[in-house]
Amino acid sequence: MTYFILKRICVTFLVIAVTSVVAFLLVHLSGDPAAAMAGEGATESDIAAVRQLYGFDRPLIVQYFDWIGRVLQGEFGRSYYLRMDVADVLADHMPVTATLGVLALSFALLLSIPLGVLAALYPNTLIDRIALWLAVAGQALPSFVFALGLMYIFGVYFRLLPISGGATWAHFIMPAIALGYYATPAIMRLTRSGMMDVLQSDHVRTARAYGLAPWRVVVRHGLRHAIIPVVSLAAVQLGFMLGGSIVIETIFSLKGLGYLAWESIQRADIEVIQAILLVIATAYAFLTLLADLLNAVLDPRIRMS
Amino acid sequence: MRVKSALWTISFAVLASFPAFAGKDNDALIWATATEMDTPDLYYGNQREALITAYAQCDSLLYRDPKTNEYLPLLATSWRWLDDTTLEMELRRGVKFHDGTDFDAQDVADTLNHLAAPDSDMKIRVVVDWIKNVEVVDTHKIRIHTKGPTPAAFEYLSGTSPIYPSGHYQKAPEVPGADGKTRRDWGAVLPVCTGPYKIESYQPGQSLTLVKNPDYFEGSPKGKPTIGKIVYRTIKDTETQVAELVTGGVDWIWGVPPENADMLNTMPNITVVSAPTMRMSFLALDAAGRTGKNPLTDVRVRRAIAHAIDREAIAKNLVGEGAAVQKSLCVPIQFGCETDVVQYEYNPEKAKQLLAEAGYPNGFTVQFYAYRDRPYSEAVINYLRAVGINAELQFLQWRALRPLIVDNKTPIAHLTFGSNGMLDASASTGHYFQFSPDDYARDEEVRDWLAKAEKTMDPAVRKELYSKALKKIADQAYYLPLFIYGRTYAFTSDLDYPLTDDEMAHFYMAKWK
Repeated sequence: MTYFILKRICVTFLVIAVTSVVAFLLVHLSGDPAAAMAGEGATESDIAAVRQLYGFDRPLIVQYFDWIGRVLQGEFGRSYYLRMDVADVLADHMPVTATLGVLALSFALLLSIPLGVLAALYPNTLIDRIALWLAVAGQALPSFVFALGLMYIFGVYFRLLPISGGATWAHFIMPAIALGYYATPAIMRLTRSGMMDVLQSDHVRTARAYGLAPWRVVVRHGLRHAIIPVVSLAAVQLGFMLGGSIVIETIFSLKGLGYLAWESIQRADIEVIQAILLVIATAYAFLTLLADLLNAVLDPRIRMS
Repeated sequence: MRVKSALWTISFAVLASFPAFAGKDNDALIWATATEMDTPDLYYGNQREALITAYAQCDSLLYRDPKTNEYLPLLATSWRWLDDTTLEMELRRGVKFHDGTDFDAQDVADTLNHLAAPDSDMKIRVVVDWIKNVEVVDTHKIRIHTKGPTPAAFEYLSGTSPIYPSGHYQKAPEVPGADGKTRRDWGAVLPVCTGPYKIESYQPGQSLTLVKNPDYFEGSPKGKPTIGKIVYRTIKDTETQVAELVTGGVDWIWGVPPENADMLNTMPNITVVSAPTMRMSFLALDAAGRTGKNPLTDVRVRRAIAHAIDREAIAKNLVGEGAAVQKSLCVPIQFGCETDVVQYEYNPEKAKQLLAEAGYPNGFTVQFYAYRDRPYSEAVINYLRAVGINAELQFLQWRALRPLIVDNKTPIAHLTFGSNGMLDASASTGHYFQFSPDDYARDEEVRDWLAKAEKTMDPAVRKELYSKALKKIADQAYYLPLFIYGRTYAFTSDLDYPLTDDEMAHFYMAKWK
């Protein structure tokens, strides 16, 4: 088991190291960052001054080790554009994305699990059809169309909700619904199929034979089993949402991580881009490591292989 | 009944948690654009948003009246050239900065001397690069010593050169630089100025709030401010901006696309207007053969390209309201912009004939580089295809295109330029024909005329030199001017907003109706 853990940790660090190199190269080789930073109106000497100021005139390998050396000391650098330390920039934007992600997933779970259960309990009925229609619509409708539709109905027409920004909790209602709805179809379908399997299983039949209340059979003996794969899927969806949704954050003008990443790419704010990539890659790598270790604990075949 | 009252309670709670709305009732003008401001310090930023804020918050030595383009006294009350390289200015007395300190000559000297120093890390150095040093003569008199004759000096000193109090930049934080060294982040210091509005709060990348300066000095050509607050917000998505405008969340937006403008025009509470900007769109043709031997070195081919494109149709039908055909490689409101130059009418037959004369009866294939507004580039390419020129579009981000321009790899580049807001042809024509990496014409005569125009103090002689240069640029079709961008503004009808054609929002002049 110790060997297995050490091996997985080594692989995790290797993944992070490779990601950092790839991220660094992608950002630097996609054009002249000094030209982007100096702006369109800059002369060649303005651009040269920027190149020298930020050290882009040095060989890439020197720049990489300079950057990674500072990161290892806990120093993410400074956003040349926002003129803030990168750590502060991330600290400003991460709560927005985290709030949005958690709210969106909560909405998705609250909508899709009951619908999935109902669809499984009443297959091929009107309820099942409505649930299916909602799932298909969620998959087929581009998120920006749904988001703009919500904005028009609740923001412009009824004027019930604020349209943009993240100043209050009310600002998160429409973005969370728009983002969460996108995750709904997969969770709903998985719940439905899982419940249909479980409802035909021996232990549920036995529970019914004991004369237990129907809701108790469904919730305690059915849903409890059917929800296990849903939890795994929800964790993956949460991972995506914590990476930031560029489209939803842009439409609702929420200053989250996805919006920050997109804006930083546009303006070649290199240290911010690298920090975002590194943070997300590290989070994914450690979540994967955690999942591997949990699986190994639960299943001896994995750790013995 | 209980359900109904619960719903009302929830609705009220939601609405009560909203931030205060914009508008006349709240005496707060909220304006939104898609661009995040990098810094409100104009010297270290390079955006219209910073320029708009600086005009409202700060004063320069001179003020260019946006309606007449006349230079008026602001922080300087009078001035005279002692010789071609010494400008003496008398400064206004009794002016205070927003932090309560008195304005004097030392503030001007410290601000401009800091920026003119080679290590000031200024973004667009042209604004101060002409200054050798600023000398304090007495408490309210300065002398600006220039590196050479600088006819555009007044342009540089009006609007784009705010004055800060002495010691302002000493507050700049020391931040990590390359190779373990540190550097000063000069642009991180919030501006302290003397203007009609002062900064109340600033959230980088999100918002900036200005409040009225009740002590703003009498007699300023900018006038006394009337609106209580001016709030800038970044809203990236145009649809969201429009939705906010319609519901009163913001009061003013610009860059409204034609389809949204048509919709907004039907609303009685919204005013929609368009005006030209200072951004020109043009084709840089490789007349000098920097990319190697190519058809564009033949003037007949370049003229054929000029005749092949219906610029009027692109400006009117595609770019939309406010846009206009660009007649010469400069912006008409700039000093020295000669527009009486050769014009190439839309005539595809003539284009084909010129191509045949040049030895390309069946056209040719050429790489066409662009970075902004793809539909406009594609329209140009379609016109070229109609006369047999197969232009292969390479659409890149600016940072990827820029190195290709420098490395002699762009036979045709569809470029745009905003002249950094300068009303002088040195900022447009002068930028492209001085044998710099941006110069794909490499005409010695044009270069010399332009260089002389930038060092000649006599306005009449300057005009003549620019005229000669621009006429030759047009005659030889070195660069092909296409159109001047337009901008559509939409704002609440409660606002008395001064529309100008310098692509600026002069909010300090705005009033509630």
